Amino acid sequence: MPELERQVAHPGLYRASGEQPALIGQHCTGCGHLAFPPNPYGCEACGAQPEALEKRELAGAGELAAFATVHLHMGGGIEAPFTVGVIVLDDGPAVRATLTCPTDDGLAIGDRVSSVLVSQGSDDEGTETVELRFIPHSSGSAEDSRVRGEA
Amino acid sequence: MARTLRELRPVRVVGIGLHRYQRAGDTPYVTLGLTAVREALADAGLQWRDVESVYNGTAMLGMAPTRPMLRHLGATGIPMAQVENASASGSTAFAQACLEVASGISDVALAMGVDKPGPMAIAGAKAGIRDLVGARVAPFTHFALLSNEYMHRYGVRPEQVAQVAVKNSRNGAANPYAQRQKVRSLEEVLAPPQISGTLTRLQCCPIGEGAAAVIVASDDAIRRLGLAASRAPRVLASVTRTESVYPGAKNFDAELTSETTSLAYEQAGVGPQDLDLIECHDAFAVEELLYVEAMGLCGEGEGAAMLANGDTAIGGRCAVSASGGLLSMGHPIGPTGAGQICELTRQLRGEAGPRQQPEARTGLAHMVGIGAVCVVHVLQRD
Ligand SMILES: [Zn+2]
Repeated sequence: MPELERQVAHPGLYRASGEQPALIGQHCTGCGHLAFPPNPYGCEACGAQPEALEKRELAGAGELAAFATVHLHMGGGIEAPFTVGVIVLDDGPAVRATLTCPTDDGLAIGDRVSSVLVSQGSDDEGTETVELRFIPHSSGSAEDSRVRGEA
Repeated sequence: MARTLRELRPVRVVGIGLHRYQRAGDTPYVTLGLTAVREALADAGLQWRDVESVYNGTAMLGMAPTRPMLRHLGATGIPMAQVENASASGSTAFAQACLEVASGISDVALAMGVDKPGPMAIAGAKAGIRDLVGARVAPFTHFALLSNEYMHRYGVRPEQVAQVAVKNSRNGAANPYAQRQKVRSLEEVLAPPQISGTLTRLQCCPIGEGAAAVIVASDDAIRRLGLAASRAPRVLASVTRTESVYPGAKNFDAELTSETTSLAYEQAGVGPQDLDLIECHDAFAVEELLYVEAMGLCGEGEGAAMLANGDTAIGGRCAVSASGGLLSMGHPIGPTGAGQICELTRQLRGEAGPRQQPEARTGLAHMVGIGAVCVVHVLQRD
């Protein structure tokens, strides 16, 4: 099963499968605060202890609130230029993620985006690493298909 | 009950000194720091033995840099501590020195900052919480994202944001302590290299080395030591806040600045209309527009217009970053917040020469540190 030979670049932050993979958020049973990313320590809104925090899947869909093409960075797994965005998820929290388009040509604030798993390559044993990015719906689609490393 | 600085005994700035902010070189940090402190002592007319305690803002030098530096002024045995609060390290050192004098623990305290670029090991990255982008979103990309959102919301063009760097290059060119001392045209500011989003290199602050020193004293000490009270502006407010949980995708940088500044106004008994100058955290060009709005100098989205009509230039309604700001004076991290106090003091004394804001009476210093911390001070001459 190919699914079993995939690993995610950020374990614990999203599922390794699915057409529109869900993000793993965190719900506070004390105050209702919904957060991403999850943390093992406590609720930043009300201070509830870890026992009060439960994982909650957040649909990988939302609206682009800001974006920027990055030419310089110290992060791994990608060569500049690439584009990052702030995405307000339909479930509430705002997340920062890499977009599938290398530049922001054609992007607009308010664009609908959804999550997609992009291949980061495979190791010697054939295990593929995938990372979650967001693909814009309304624009930049020509570039999307190029970058969206289909497994 | 909790008290504010204003309710304690008055604290005044009696001496200021700097080592020029410059590109990293071979100068030992000891030379940088001693230059600033000796200049501050001379400016105040104080001897080293008159200083009763030291807070030194530093983020990149490593453990315990203060005593190996200051022992060369004569080992007087006084308490010294390093203060680290990211970009706001020097501001926090100043806040601590003010509190110490205001409380009566010390009569004369030195707040300083000294740094040389070194490995920036940000502890938050070791907090065990991963996100989707990690170091792909460096600080400049954080502000590139805020720029994009800001320009979209208010219909502001990239050239209008870039004008912040043009104005501050003009100010920095008149400041012998500034790392960038060249007047830049809009064309030069917009020229590549592109760093992130619409941010070009000249819209990002340079991180170099340098030092700044501020000596604060009580009125008792000013009388006892025969210091010039007329050259000693009072610290009316000292407020530090950290980020809260803001709803949705709200701009937390602006929210935090707004909260912190409001408290500082309340403590100082002044409003934005009373400010003659502001030293602002303009590490990236868009910040100045976001923050002058958050500080209530103008309405939301009006920062670019305020800049364009000269209201924030030297000679305007409220000069913003007359020193050149982080964009031109530079941002050596540890010293930056203390350097802002040096500039405000020089201006409030009327000693700022070619970059003097006319009739300056009240000034505000504003720093933001990752983490996310905001520190605001208000100074006023009598
Ligand atoms: Zn909670």
